[in-house]
Amino acid sequence: MLLFGFLSIPYEFQWSVLWQAPYDTWLMDGLLMTLKISALSWVFAILLGILFGALRTVPFRPLRALAAAYVEFFRNVPLLVWLFFWYFGAPEVLPEPIRQWLIHHGMEFWSGVAGISVYHGARMSEVIRAGIQSIPKTQLEAGLSSGLSVSQTYRLIIIPIALRLILPPVTNESLNLLKNSSLAMTIGVAELTFATRQIETYTAKAFEAFTAGTLIYLTLCLSIAYVMNRVERKFAIPGLIARAERAEH
Amino acid sequence: MKRSGVFLVIAMLIFSLPGISAAEPTLEKIKRTGVFTVGTRTGSPPFGYINKKNEWVGFSIDLAQLVHKNIEKKLGQPVKFELKESTPATRIPLLSSMAVDLIAGTMTDTRARRESVDFSLTFFVTGAQFMVKKGSPIRGVKDIVGKRIGTQQGSTNERALRERYPQAHLIVFQDQPSAFTALTQGKLDAYTNDGIQLWGLKYKAPNPDDWEVVGEWYTYEPYGMAMRKNDSNFRQVVNVALMEAIEGGEYFKLYDKWFGPKSETPYPLSPEAKTFLMMEVVPK
Amino acid sequence: MVILSNAEFLLLQGLLGIGIFAGGTLRLAIPSIFGGFCLGVILGLARLARRSWIHYPAAVYIEFIRGIPLVMVIFWFWFLVPVFLRRPVPEYWVALTAFVCFEGAYIGEIVRAGIQSVPRGQIDAATATGLGYVQTMWHVILPQAIRNMIPSLVTQFIVLFKDTSLASIIGMMDLTKAAQTISQRELRPFEMYIFIAVVYWIFTYSMSRFSRWLEIQMSPERATSS
Repeated sequence: MLLFGFLSIPYEFQWSVLWQAPYDTWLMDGLLMTLKISALSWVFAILLGILFGALRTVPFRPLRALAAAYVEFFRNVPLLVWLFFWYFGAPEVLPEPIRQWLIHHGMEFWSGVAGISVYHGARMSEVIRAGIQSIPKTQLEAGLSSGLSVSQTYRLIIIPIALRLILPPVTNESLNLLKNSSLAMTIGVAELTFATRQIETYTAKAFEAFTAGTLIYLTLCLSIAYVMNRVERKFAIPGLIARAERAEH
Repeated sequence: MKRSGVFLVIAMLIFSLPGISAAEPTLEKIKRTGVFTVGTRTGSPPFGYINKKNEWVGFSIDLAQLVHKNIEKKLGQPVKFELKESTPATRIPLLSSMAVDLIAGTMTDTRARRESVDFSLTFFVTGAQFMVKKGSPIRGVKDIVGKRIGTQQGSTNERALRERYPQAHLIVFQDQPSAFTALTQGKLDAYTNDGIQLWGLKYKAPNPDDWEVVGEWYTYEPYGMAMRKNDSNFRQVVNVALMEAIEGGEYFKLYDKWFGPKSETPYPLSPEAKTFLMMEVVPK
Repeated sequence: MVILSNAEFLLLQGLLGIGIFAGGTLRLAIPSIFGGFCLGVILGLARLARRSWIHYPAAVYIEFIRGIPLVMVIFWFWFLVPVFLRRPVPEYWVALTAFVCFEGAYIGEIVRAGIQSVPRGQIDAATATGLGYVQTMWHVILPQAIRNMIPSLVTQFIVLFKDTSLASIIGMMDLTKAAQTISQRELRPFEMYIFIAVVYWIFTYSMSRFSRWLEIQMSPERATSS
């Protein structure tokens, strides 16, 4: 804390810029945009993740190969490159009426959603696949031999276990998604990181602006992690130690 | 509980930092480190950009090199000349964090900015205009209501439009190239920037004739070089370098190189601009 | 084709960092992983220390870094590093510092998990044989832990390699920035981004295959050792 005192940096702190108009609205708008784009992308990413994660485990080779191709194709390229691709590259091959409609309805936002959901969908599917595959086969066999039908076994035994297994890594991936939403600023989406830079360019108070952004992200991530931690512990099944711990990139 | 503790500690650390002031004068810093760092653009032809040979060149860069020569003369020792990329959003932090000593690009001298930085003499004058596809219905600032206008984060144009024409739908990009690509793809109805930069962009485009620069100057943009505040010795060196260049004709040679009839972005020097420049040179 | 005429710039300058711009994706990624590893080992060990004045700062640091986007971390370092050094710093060094500090936190967690995965019996046996803390760590725990960590470390390197693309936001001339620079001039973004997507893909896919091969190498051993 006293560190900066004798470093003589040419900077004057002025924390009040953070709650002056219009800067405070910019921060709020940025936060809302971050939440909007993250929430929407999250829904799509989960859906894609469940779809392709499950596909990777079906006993039908072509489908497994297709799902594997999707995952390997999308998750090995940086998200930033994908965002540029989805905004500058992909829309050019769309039919003109759709393109025009998109342009007039916030193409920046939708390209961002597309890029983030497809990329994180690939990552989610790996996490979900690992979770599904780590459920011992014996659970299915035990269920069937107890007289339950296949669908009952899945509904009453497999899926509840699967959900608990994948919850921690999915939470982790979801937080990654939230943090990665900051990249959308490069294609014109006015989200939170964009807003902190905007405040900084208008007021030249970089430290205050970045601190505001940092604290907001921290609050979001730490509180979500805390809540999910409580949820996991509440629903944990004692004795189920085997967790899908494979680190995914 | 542990997590909220972590959070509190972090918040406390950040908020307990006291304010400070006073800085090392730039000339002393240059003397000490032996390096003169200039922040300039990489995508703003012809002030600072990457040419077809992938070299980093430009009018502002050439002017900064004149300043560099003057610094070497003043300090009496050789000094290394370094370039760093700066954009409207990053140039003031780069200066205040001492990452660069001078911003020589396309920075407009304004009263508000003079609260944070000092400016050299004006070395170029232009105004904000719009770049549109040929034949577009947008001819000036009055036509932009409800239209999608591209700008760069942190530029004076963005600020002017936000304040005076809030009904225009602004899409803010991080750099000029992204915005221009969006314009070429029809995602923007117009792109706004200082007139001369739009001309530079137009002539560098694959099909210059597809693009028009329209509208009267809706802002007045005198370009100056920016440096840290309250550093009159350094400012003197910079200004004297510019004055000597204007007086001795070096400036006009450079102007001709970058904006003359044979250059890639012809932009004739108006008589008023020429008079203005020459009157900035105060007697010895 | 646009790609061919500019491939040299993209690959030499962007990927390898040879040229007038100090940059390069590989030139950033490789030192970052080494620096990050060193920092990660320190943080991981600190996190496991029993003394609270060692493990609390480490925990705070790790939670802090993991709670904010990499873009924010990069901006912070971009702003702070020249201030602390009181001299101009090329983007490459800013990016390198930011990445080392960022990856260090994540690797710290990997190290912690790796060390915790070594059976407790090893520590007990080492203490019973009369080895001190440092000796135990150095000769017994860390070698085993590192073997466990290698797949996760390779994965983290893959993540780091992709994250280097963010250095382009502060102007470092990496593969992504090189593609941006050229596509601005030539106005062919589609080709440019597909090209670098392929380059990134080649690297990361090979690395992930390597990681999978490593895991196969390691798991038969683990199955038979206990």
